[in-house]
Amino acid sequence: MADTKRQAMVLGVCLALMVALPAIAAWTARPDFVTLGSQIAVLAIAAAGLDLLIGRTGLPSFGHAAWFGLGGYAVGIMAVHAGDGSLPGWVTQAWFAWPAAVLVAALAALVIGALCLRTGGVSFIMITLAFAQMFYFLFVALSAYGGDDGLGMRRRNAVPGIGPRDDVAFYYVCLVALVGVLFLLRRIARSRFGLVLDGIRQNERRMMAIGLAPYRYKLAAFVISAAIAGLAGALHVNLFRFASPDLLHWTMSGELMVMVVLGGIGTVVGPVFGAAAMVLLHNFLAQWTEHWMIVMGPILVGVVLLARAGIWGAIGGRR
Amino acid sequence: MTKLLELRGLCKRFGGLVATDALDLVIAPGEIHALIGPNGAGKTTVIGQVAGELRPDAGSIHLAGADITRLSIPARVRAGLTRSFQVTSLLPQSSALENVAIVEQLRQGHSFRFWRDAGGDPARTGPARAMLERVGLAARADIPAEDLAHGEQRQLELAMALATQPRLLLLDEPMAGLGPTESAAMTALLAGLKGQVAMLLVEHDMDAVFALADRVTVLLHGRAIACDTPASIRANPAVRDAYLGEA
Repeated sequence: MADTKRQAMVLGVCLALMVALPAIAAWTARPDFVTLGSQIAVLAIAAAGLDLLIGRTGLPSFGHAAWFGLGGYAVGIMAVHAGDGSLPGWVTQAWFAWPAAVLVAALAALVIGALCLRTGGVSFIMITLAFAQMFYFLFVALSAYGGDDGLGMRRRNAVPGIGPRDDVAFYYVCLVALVGVLFLLRRIARSRFGLVLDGIRQNERRMMAIGLAPYRYKLAAFVISAAIAGLAGALHVNLFRFASPDLLHWTMSGELMVMVVLGGIGTVVGPVFGAAAMVLLHNFLAQWTEHWMIVMGPILVGVVLLARAGIWGAIGGRR
Repeated sequence: MTKLLELRGLCKRFGGLVATDALDLVIAPGEIHALIGPNGAGKTTVIGQVAGELRPDAGSIHLAGADITRLSIPARVRAGLTRSFQVTSLLPQSSALENVAIVEQLRQGHSFRFWRDAGGDPARTGPARAMLERVGLAARADIPAEDLAHGEQRQLELAMALATQPRLLLLDEPMAGLGPTESAAMTALLAGLKGQVAMLLVEHDMDAVFALADRVTVLLHGRAIACDTPASIRANPAVRDAYLGEA
């Protein structure tokens, strides 16, 4: 029980810190901290969603950037068409654009996942990677939406009561989204559905022998996970007002995976710490060397070797 | 005689090896039917085909009159046919209680319920606790399956299979790796189920086989060389030659 108490304390402190971040940024005259915070929140959403697949279900998807990018491009492309008048202006309202991005990612994942989940093991890793790269090259070739150069977004999707240039307000929007997604994932983890996913990860053959047809459950997890990545992608494109094919590149899939492993596989909140570590290390290490991965690599190896439940495990958390 | 399970002309080849050779077998409701034979006789291959993990090359499998030869494993479980494993197969990180509760959950219908906390749901844990009680694991309910002693894991393995409420239980060496005391306890446990659930029992422990079985089929090179009551099997010279003699 002491463990639970410690977990609650750690989470409480972290949440307080994140809520206070804009004040800290103002006090230290570092407004870039706010952007950094938004970036962490957005990537944490995607990583936490990916953990539903990797950590809960035991499905190591190496193509998660596809759903992240599709969600991002969905809001970017709608903004382009609202700008030239070929779509009504309300498609740039957040209440429409973000759920639409989630839906686009989920529908694409439903089709691709239905194919990928026919395989398992290493084949699953490779086929998810292949499909994601296919989407990457699609957007590189799509010159109508900027191709290689990416797609700018003149202003963020309109959220009622928030100015389009208000970075602090947008940070809080991302933070609320993160807390909402974590709450949702926590509920799922403890539901009947989540317990079935747990069983599939631990021993799929056994689950079949007691009457489970696992395919539909794995597909549902795949789609939920992709939908969450779609939301993260939409927020990411809003944050930087820019969508580029890099969002869909396999290195993005790899980074999301690293965040999950670094933060703690199968721990729901762990990936948030992984995302924070990744963004902060990148940011500060890149200030002294562009070869920041030389430092990042050994850190990752160390965490994987020393702490099986990642950062979250090291600070007293459990699955 | 009414037939719960019927195998008709079952054949399975692995390359040049004939693992199951035109096997006919009938099990009556409530019957405990033992399948014995030397190593490599094809016993586990038969279990695999009946459970649905292996496709027979020829022949058919019928459960209570319905042809189930082409049904998937989960569909066979729903039809009342569940197997246990020779090598213990559990959810290692989950508690003993959760290992059985998940079976109970699956039996109650689909699991597309995303919101309500299921861990302490009495609809799952109530029947699961009762089942643990039945196999003698009630005191160990909260221990992760991987931390249980080997004998306890075998009991849990059986509890999971029983929780599907099968009409026919396929038991692949339930005594595997058990000491004499544990074997006797497992035999007593299975004997207590006699009449409630039919069993197809693959087992090397002849004390258990002769104590439990209503009828015994002797398998040699995939072929049934005898099928009779335990007493007649013991007296059968062909069986003594093929198998019992060497023991």
